[in-house]
Amino acid sequence: MASASSSKVPAASPNTPPDSCDVLVYGTGLVESIVAAALAWQGTNVLHLDPNPFYGGLWASLNLEELKAWTDKINSPATNDTPFSNAYLYISRNLDPRKYAIDISPHVLFTRADLLNLLIQSRVSRYLEFKPLGSFHTFEQDSFEKVPGTKEDIFTSQNLTLLTKRSLMRFMKFVVIWDETPDVWLEYKGKPISLFLKEKFNLDEPQIVELVHSIALLSSPSSPTELALDRIKRYLSSMQVYGNFPAMYSMYGSGGEIAQGFCRSAAVAGAVYRLGTKLSSFDDESGVAVLDNGEKIKVTEKLITSYGLLPSSREITRMVAVVEKDCKEWFAEGESAAIVVFPPETLDGNKYAVQALVLGSGSGQVPLGQAVWYLSTQESGEQGRKDLFLALEKMEESILRESTEDFEFDVSEEDIAYLPNGMPVVSSVRLGESLRNFTPKESLKYLLKLTYTQKVTVPPPQPGSKTIYVPAPSIDIVYDGVVTRAQAIYEGVTGTTEDFFEVDFEDEDDDATATGNPPDTSIGDVADIDDEELGDHPDFDEEVAGEMTI
Amino acid sequence: MSSVEAAASAPKPTASVKLVLLGEAAVGKSSLVLRFVSNDFQENKEPTIGAAFLTQKCSLPNRTIKFEIWDTAGQERFASLAPMYYRNAQTALVVYDLTKPTSLIKARHWVNELHAQASPKIVIALVGNKLDLCTEGEGEGETSTADDDEDRRKVSTEEGRKFAEEEGLLFFETSAKTGANVRDVFLAIASKIPEEIINKRSGTGTKGRAGAGERGVDLEPRTSESNAQGCAC
Repeated sequence: MASASSSKVPAASPNTPPDSCDVLVYGTGLVESIVAAALAWQGTNVLHLDPNPFYGGLWASLNLEELKAWTDKINSPATNDTPFSNAYLYISRNLDPRKYAIDISPHVLFTRADLLNLLIQSRVSRYLEFKPLGSFHTFEQDSFEKVPGTKEDIFTSQNLTLLTKRSLMRFMKFVVIWDETPDVWLEYKGKPISLFLKEKFNLDEPQIVELVHSIALLSSPSSPTELALDRIKRYLSSMQVYGNFPAMYSMYGSGGEIAQGFCRSAAVAGAVYRLGTKLSSFDDESGVAVLDNGEKIKVTEKLITSYGLLPSSREITRMVAVVEKDCKEWFAEGESAAIVVFPPETLDGNKYAVQALVLGSGSGQVPLGQAVWYLSTQESGEQGRKDLFLALEKMEESILRESTEDFEFDVSEEDIAYLPNGMPVVSSVRLGESLRNFTPKESLKYLLKLTYTQKVTVPPPQPGSKTIYVPAPSIDIVYDGVVTRAQAIYEGVTGTTEDFFEVDFEDEDDDATATGNPPDTSIGDVADIDDEELGDHPDFDEEVAGEMTI
Repeated sequence: MSSVEAAASAPKPTASVKLVLLGEAAVGKSSLVLRFVSNDFQENKEPTIGAAFLTQKCSLPNRTIKFEIWDTAGQERFASLAPMYYRNAQTALVVYDLTKPTSLIKARHWVNELHAQASPKIVIALVGNKLDLCTEGEGEGETSTADDDEDRRKVSTEEGRKFAEEEGLLFFETSAKTGANVRDVFLAIASKIPEEIINKRSGTGTKGRAGAGERGVDLEPRTSESNAQGCAC
């Protein structure tokens, strides 16, 4: 009992901040929060601070009040410790600020991802709610095509010739075992994936574009073959893990919400939390940290920080738009999310793909009848903004056309295919054959528009230093690399990754088990609970009193 | 026993309900839950570092409420409770210490926070704890259990009740130490949960609570609970 706790309770009274710690974590972004939780469970004394009054750091999801303050802050010349800058924000009047959760670094989670494994293993997933994301659209020749992500899609698609279908099937058979068959692709290692697909599988441009940009979610057709194959395989193997969708998103915000879950886990393991607390200075020699209120904290091991001016390789451009439309036309049945990809050369010569994540009110990020669009590109500066605005325009045209009531969607006989069991299916949804012929009768109302740029930071190696820097979130819309980075930092502190989140959730559920409940429906993450006296109350079905030891 | 069997065989609606604990440090939040869940009390309990997520079923004649009890895990100490904490909480226990007037002021703060951040339909119970330290067990018919004959009560029952009435809260004075009124708090909350939440028939854990008619993904597919547990009321 109390084995997890005895060493970690701050010596002082609970309301007095500790004056020393093993590790000071500065910033509550996703990577740092995973590290904080892993360290706390391992037994390290963690003090976790954030200069902002909210959780999530560079991954935060903000209500509108917080968003205003945030844009002011990153635009201020006095701010030099954030990778964000150049924000332009418009907010329509009379919005309830608390009804919105705007992600500053939106991400989605594939059902086959190391982060999901960690979420389940650490039980942080129990603090969160995930929703399915099964709609991936590619913008082509002025229309949105739903991506054929499964063999059934390919089989029933009316847009593909028999020859193309055969090539695609052959490729999909290969890609699920690509890592075991290097002879097929080794000569293309480091070479553009588009070249490989064309030469090895005779795939046509439209299929290449969909595979590279919508399925692998890569930004450039010259992305290396092995990376693209890995990500195409991941997409395919993610289908049907939990249902007919390859990806999910966490409600109320992405990385910042997941970070909150890890922070809570860290707190359960004894980490101490203080938001709205700035680190004024840190002496790398002595390990003394000084806070903005003058408090001094002795850090015995490491400072892990995501704030500070880091060298950056390049800039990326982001845009957020909240629209007064539910956008359900883009979502699959029962879902509230879609990804729309504008491949290179589809928006007046854009060099990189523009990715858009569309979330409806089911995401908990916007009220009913509204949707939030998150657009991003690797393009920087004016060109980046131009690409995003063009993409926004196309999305606006498309959603107006799709949601116009008197618009009739003609389904001709050629659009209907039949599954082997005789079930008729309408071929891939054609979201507007040609937007050029469409003149909207109404205009789309934007309730919020925000554009900003973000530096992609590269933390310098700091051998012998007490300070470990955490890089800013990448442009990637998937969480790839987050767990690896957290593990590397963990190793930088403890010298090993072997016990990374090796938490033994010892559940003492004898009582519950005896009554026939599956053990894991009744697990309490609680320390210091003794459940010997279960069953004494006539009024209650005693179910849970779990003990967590490490 | 026939009524018990009848209750057990009739399928009663079960609802998962998120309950959050709020209150100043050391007022006995965790102890209350500990008493409720395992009928236990620990002297000189260390500050909360555990108690993150407990579940406890509470069986009423017409329905079963499965409380999912969230403790603060100490994150309230430096005003760092995450929005995640309040989110989708259908019920809250705001706890103060009957021997410490400042803790009632803090309780007012938490009630305001709940009104601002939580669902408007949230059921809140105001709980004055440490009744065992008060010699005149006012109101709830509890006799003194104080060891030293010294009445340490600093907040009158009237003061707490008045505040609760103004804000429309359930009100109890409890002792986690003796167990006085602890079960009543949870039973009262369970009875007061609006019918529509019960009718939603949300599944296990947090899933499906957000509503809006859309499905959340259950990441840890589990076998469904085999047999509904009978009510022994």
